[in-house]
Amino acid sequence: MTATATSSGSGAVYDRGYRPYDGPRGQRGAATFALYKASIRRALGLRRSWRQKVAPFVLLGVVTIPAIVNVGIGYVTRDQPLSDRIEIITYRDYVGVSSALLLFVALVAPDVICPDRRQRVLPLMFARPLTGVDYVAAKLGAIASIIFAFSFLPQVVLFVGNMLVSDSAYDYFTGHLDVLWKIPLAIVLLSLLDAVVGVAISALTDRRIVAGASIIGLFLVTSIAAGVIVGEDFRRGRGSLAALINIYRLPLFLRDVVFLGHVDPESPLNGTANGALLAAVVYAAVVFTGVVVLLRRYRWVER
Amino acid sequence: MDTGPLLRIAGLTKRYPDVIALDDLSVEVPRGLIGLVGANGAGKTTTFRLLLGLAHPTQGRIEVCGIDVAEDPIAVRSRLGFMPEHDCLPLDQTAADVVSTFGELSGLPARAARQRASDILDLVGLDEARFRPIGGFSTGMRQRTKLAQALVGDPELVLLDEPTAGLDPLGREEMLALVARLGTFGISVLMATHLLDDVQQVCDHVVMIDAGKLVVSGATDSLLERTGIVTVDVGHRGAELVAGLERVSMAAVAGDDVVEVTVDGDHHLDQLRDVIADLGLPLYRLTSRLTSLDEVFLRRADETRAAAS
Repeated sequence: MTATATSSGSGAVYDRGYRPYDGPRGQRGAATFALYKASIRRALGLRRSWRQKVAPFVLLGVVTIPAIVNVGIGYVTRDQPLSDRIEIITYRDYVGVSSALLLFVALVAPDVICPDRRQRVLPLMFARPLTGVDYVAAKLGAIASIIFAFSFLPQVVLFVGNMLVSDSAYDYFTGHLDVLWKIPLAIVLLSLLDAVVGVAISALTDRRIVAGASIIGLFLVTSIAAGVIVGEDFRRGRGSLAALINIYRLPLFLRDVVFLGHVDPESPLNGTANGALLAAVVYAAVVFTGVVVLLRRYRWVER
Repeated sequence: MDTGPLLRIAGLTKRYPDVIALDDLSVEVPRGLIGLVGANGAGKTTTFRLLLGLAHPTQGRIEVCGIDVAEDPIAVRSRLGFMPEHDCLPLDQTAADVVSTFGELSGLPARAARQRASDILDLVGLDEARFRPIGGFSTGMRQRTKLAQALVGDPELVLLDEPTAGLDPLGREEMLALVARLGTFGISVLMATHLLDDVQQVCDHVVMIDAGKLVVSGATDSLLERTGIVTVDVGHRGAELVAGLERVSMAAVAGDDVVEVTVDGDHHLDQLRDVIADLGLPLYRLTSRLTSLDEVFLRRADETRAAAS
């Protein structure tokens, strides 16, 4: 270390020079985790201006409202007989019920991905012990983690609230043990698909507005196309496999299978042969395609 | 500390569909402050990309700090810092956040990265501005931030791509002073530039490339050759000296403050000494004028092209 001091009167200016670093040093795993943390901070607006924090935390409030209302009604009607109590939302319905999450993906995924390319930060990142695979894993992981958290926290509020306003918290807990694995599994399926689609589309452009509009557009177009082809007769057992082109509904079909063990009779897949299996296949194909697009986009050479 | 060569490049060729960026480049470079010199398009940036393992060579082999880049690019990148020429900073974040994040990306624990970010930003003269968004920085401050992110991981070697690009004269001098200081910290520097004055000012070794070929590589001092011209400062009596030298058949030109005398061998130097003594002129300075790196580059590049054709 170079350390010199020059003094003038009572003050002194110190040149602290340069201190080499000889502490512990991580490799790829540490770099990937650092990028994951930085992406989560960016997505949540942490260490950024208050404006950047508004959207994510307003969204968290919005998706938690149904749980709070449901628990509130449960509290008000706690002295009523069980048959008279009102339940406005079930755990199954609450998985992916809010399209606000979709808006969140369209807002946050481009914000986490596009500036790296637009502001040409990628060469700095890949000059570190980091590969394209690590970059994709960190970005996908960050977006998926936030979607998971924003879907899971309201479920926790709902579960704990319902437990507390029930006649016996212990009985409620033991009577609903199955949702303790069904909810996380269904949310993982939802988070993974939304994150892959959002990040893959964002990786194809360096303009946030284009990426956001494309994400919303893809979900809207596939949703409308599926709706038109399937029609309204699916509740009478006349569902169609065309419903699988609705990317937004794909994880919800699997959610139904997780919670019910079969396709929901109220879903557009009602009455189709092997609907659940095909939903899983299409889901896997979409995720696989998205990951391939990402890996090709960030392959480690010739960047 | 490892004392092996900094870079060992053997038969390096990088061919793109339309152009050969590097053509059978072989060079061994010692540790220290190294200038990588060449005109625009000479292959400097391609060389950096290959050193970082961000591009595959078409042929050849590169060792950085004793590690083969093709075999272990991650280990190489762990030892390098990189400051690109172009804008590359997230403008909506503060310098402290950016530098500490890049410290973590270099493998430092979060707390150490924050501490080093603070120290390095202080070192590059951004201690007061480190909590301001980079979008509000001047070009000079952005260049310093780019240098800080390259240093935060405590690299063995820093690759600087045109570090003085876009800077005003004062900013350029300050940046070069910073680069020169890195050598005293035991950090080797490979500075790509087309500004030979920058290299001559701070680098102790120069690698010159032209159109992807090696022109010359050597210690800066050894490349600066004598021009056969001696510069003499005799105060305001330069005209008397010129006249005196003409009487002994020596060519001399009086400039603003000095006289430039063409010498051909030691006997001319003896004659010059005698003329000054006979005329009773004050001798304030007498130096042998060296070639500039520009002259060396132009001459050697011409020779290389001629040899190739």
